[in-house]
Amino acid sequence: MLSIESLSIRLGEFSVQDISLTIPDGEYFIIIGPTGAGKTVLLETIAGIHPPESGRILLDGKDITALEPRDRNIGMVYQDYMLFPHLTVAENIAFGLRQRRVLKREQEDAVREMGQLLGISHLLDRYPVTLSGGEQQRVALARAMVLKPRILLLDEPMSALDSRTRERISRELSDIRRATGTTIVQITHHFEEVHTLADRIAIMQDGTVVQVGEPSEVFLHPATTFAAEFLCIGNIIRGTSSRQGRLARIEAGGQVFYAASDITGSVVATLHPEDVIISLEPFVSSARNCLPGTVTEIVPVGSVVRIILDVGFPLTAILTRESCSDMMLTNAGRVYATFKASAVHVIPAAAQEPEDRD
Amino acid sequence: MRKVSLAITVLLFLAISVTLLGLVLYSPLPVLAASMANPEIQFAIVLSIVTGIASTVICIAVAIPVAYALVRYSFPGKRMATLVLTLPLTLPPLVAGIALLLFFGTTPWGKALESAGFAVIFTPLGIVVAQVFVNLPYMVRIMRSAFASINPRFEHVAKTLGCTESGAFFQVTLPMARHGLLAGTVVTWSKAMGEFGAVLMLAGATTMRTETLPIALYLNISTGDVDLAVAAATILILISLAALCCVEYLDRDVNVF
Repeated sequence: MLSIESLSIRLGEFSVQDISLTIPDGEYFIIIGPTGAGKTVLLETIAGIHPPESGRILLDGKDITALEPRDRNIGMVYQDYMLFPHLTVAENIAFGLRQRRVLKREQEDAVREMGQLLGISHLLDRYPVTLSGGEQQRVALARAMVLKPRILLLDEPMSALDSRTRERISRELSDIRRATGTTIVQITHHFEEVHTLADRIAIMQDGTVVQVGEPSEVFLHPATTFAAEFLCIGNIIRGTSSRQGRLARIEAGGQVFYAASDITGSVVATLHPEDVIISLEPFVSSARNCLPGTVTEIVPVGSVVRIILDVGFPLTAILTRESCSDMMLTNAGRVYATFKASAVHVIPAAAQEPEDRD
Repeated sequence: MRKVSLAITVLLFLAISVTLLGLVLYSPLPVLAASMANPEIQFAIVLSIVTGIASTVICIAVAIPVAYALVRYSFPGKRMATLVLTLPLTLPPLVAGIALLLFFGTTPWGKALESAGFAVIFTPLGIVVAQVFVNLPYMVRIMRSAFASINPRFEHVAKTLGCTESGAFFQVTLPMARHGLLAGTVVTWSKAMGEFGAVLMLAGATTMRTETLPIALYLNISTGDVDLAVAAATILILISLAALCCVEYLDRDVNVF
């Protein structure tokens, strides 16, 4: 188990402030956040590259804060792979084994085994510059994995790859992790990876962790407006909430809707477009909210269509292409948007949060 | 514009090659061969090569850690240090030479060195000192740009793979900087072979004692012995040409001068 206790570090313009995280064995933990949030600095500090200003890092209860990187048994793969250009693929993979003075024969066996596992056996005698991005990625993974690290740190390892290679390597990473039980901590920008790979995610902003949790939980219940915006949740509505019975009555853009929440005052409500039903006539159902509005934009996205409505505030819904043509939706058409009070997630709008999305 | 600039380029090319070829072809071959066999020229060749190698080795040994520190570490006065380290580049070698002469001749530590057996003034050791002083900034600059082009993350990865800090440097950073190192070595050595002003000031121009190739050229032209001067000059041209070819071959990206 990896425990980070109120870790702080400042490195030029990047900093990490008072971060605490606990990552159990074998977990696939993903850290997401915008550029400059301090994600890489955090990873490098876990690896032991930078000494923290304060706080501790514990691995299986043992304080490793002051240990040299080589004594931590933590592997690291960077975005640009950082393969040593003056060494062949085989020499790159064997690099760590050579540092440990593993017998030459055993080094060769281990390199061959990693080559097979990652499908790069045919590349072993080549130099890194001659490899494609996906191949370099595998070599970098092999170089780290061959030491059987307790924890593997991945710094946006997929961002330089095309989406198909990314998907394939993601799957392989998942398999490797299951086979070896390695704990993986990864940084990413890609939301697909978050859903398919992560056991838990952390959202970072300005050097602090904003929210930690299972991906579905974080997506359904973002803790802050920033998290909601960063996760690209379809509808982020600012308004004022007051108590009405067991529900929150939210006023926004001259319109009123209800949410299952007890938060009052200035709030931000999030609503996934998938939870909005569109109809031409008022839709009678158990759903608490049914707002009239006009269609302002129809955007086809793959097999679905994104409908943007004006119901007093902009509201996005998703329809299949079929239902969109069945309903004969057109721009400026009158429709009704129906959603459950329980589908609306309410976040208190912190006064200091910048209103940069209006 | 195209015609004019091309014409000027051709003219410049002709001017340089004709001038240098004229020098090389000045003496008939037998005379040149005889001059090369002259003991004074032979002494100058050997002395130049030996002092050149010695000063280059010292430059490498000092420049590598200095350049690395300038690139990787931040410390108070770094800008000032960089400036001072680069100053000898633009300083006329004669000025460097006289500064060295005063340092070793008049200061207590200079005298202490001399009494300890390291006599620098008007000795072959002085040649090495003068060459190191003048050439070190070149070596530092070349190594600095070589190290600066290497992402520190290579070292980070090496450390997570089991390297100590120095292990990462010697197994990853230095091999990755090898083109810069080779180019720097060649340039430093060829500049050392041709160093005149600083050597003249500090080591003097004593025939058959501190007589490097440029000094031999100077001494012989002063006494009217043109053949010997031309022999020395011819060797210096060949060395420059070889060095330039070497650098071009090693790495086109290293901006040496």
